[in-house]
Amino acid sequence: MNKFAFGCVVVLLILLFFVVIAALGLAGSYNRLVRLQQAVDQSWAQVQNVYQRRADLIPNLVNTVSGAANFEKSTLVEVTNARASVGRVQTQIDPNKAPTDAAQLEKFQTAQGELSNALSRLLVVVERYPELKANQNFLSLQAQLEGTENRISVERGNFNKTVQDYNVAVRSFPTNFVAGPLGFSPRPFFTAQPGAEKPPPVQFNFGTQLQRRL
Amino acid sequence: MQTRLSASLVALAFIVAMTAQAAEVIPPKPDRYFNDYVGVVSKEAAQRFNEQLAQFERETGDQVVVAVFPKMQSDSDIADYTQRVAQTWGVGQKERRNGVVLFVFVQDRKASIQVGYGLEGALSDIIAYDIRANHISPYFKNGDYEGGLATGIDLICKAIRGEYKGSGKTVTEQRRGTGGLGVLPFIIFVIVLIVISRMMRRLGGYGYSSSRGGPVFLPIGGGGWSSGGGGGFSGFSGGGGSFGGGGSSGSW
Repeated sequence: MNKFAFGCVVVLLILLFFVVIAALGLAGSYNRLVRLQQAVDQSWAQVQNVYQRRADLIPNLVNTVSGAANFEKSTLVEVTNARASVGRVQTQIDPNKAPTDAAQLEKFQTAQGELSNALSRLLVVVERYPELKANQNFLSLQAQLEGTENRISVERGNFNKTVQDYNVAVRSFPTNFVAGPLGFSPRPFFTAQPGAEKPPPVQFNFGTQLQRRL
Repeated sequence: MQTRLSASLVALAFIVAMTAQAAEVIPPKPDRYFNDYVGVVSKEAAQRFNEQLAQFERETGDQVVVAVFPKMQSDSDIADYTQRVAQTWGVGQKERRNGVVLFVFVQDRKASIQVGYGLEGALSDIIAYDIRANHISPYFKNGDYEGGLATGIDLICKAIRGEYKGSGKTVTEQRRGTGGLGVLPFIIFVIVLIVISRMMRRLGGYGYSSSRGGPVFLPIGGGGWSSGGGGGFSGFSGGGGSFGGGGSSGSW
């Protein structure tokens, strides 16, 4: 009888030991997931910052460009419309949390991509207006726009890196067993779009300036 | 099933993108502030620029690095590439993120000013563009690299001076200072060890011979730490600053 009680205690102690180990492991992976998710949300905020910076430049750009004599209006309308559609998509996305739905991010990316395209077309058209290219205001806007495009590509890259770290953690063994029940699902990241990834619309401008002189 | 397939396709695309980038070479961290890997400026001027930038870090804490390369070792856009290089070098302090790097690629006829996050306000894209396109490029077009770099360094320093206050020391000098302190306890520890082992031996404790164990440690304390700034130039070490793509890049 005594022996049996002793055996029970030993078994219970062993069980308790495993429970404690499991709890500690669970807490550890939960904390790690929270930290990685925070990093993703933070880098998403940076992404939105730099896109917002671009959106803020556009009214000024449109004003400056439309001041030029006989400026082709269709490209301006295109830019304005693209900016408006970006604004509409943005209101559907929680600004403090990175998108969890791949379709949502896709929509965001498409809208921003269209704005990028409209802007690069605008800058190509500007090439035909020498008075704009001598306009100090326009040149400074162009420099700002170029810097903003570079920042966008940097922050998108940083975002993808943090999402990758997070997704690896969510999917790898043994965290994958707890990630789902605890509400951590893999996050979508930016995909490379032909043309959208590169910032050279403005680069193109500086290049042709030189070529033309040669 | 389909989502999993598309997810793996995306992952594949990501890997392809990563390996495509792997073709580029990030140059190793420079050991000076002014690094002319081509030889476009005289030795005296290089030395002068280097000391000017080291002094600037002592006064303001801002790290400004100049790197002149023969050509870009990447297929990427110059702005993308130089941002990655500046980020890898960690120019600027970690908390203030106050680094600036001026890159020049002589054969490509391209230059880039990369501005750390913490200096984007003081050295905005417009100012960086103005410095690069209107002040540096005219000199470079005439082949006067020394003049262009002197102007560039002056204007960059002028733009960011006053943003932060320096500690009177560069990162290299600070590290050397704490490095020396770090060695001191170790030396004391070794001396104590020797003394104890001597006492043990005198007391006739255990039979092992300690005459080899102790003194072997000694030479380590003396070497290693004296190097670093000895070559007659102020050495540069990055403080872990980060870059977000601010600045200006382009051809001349």
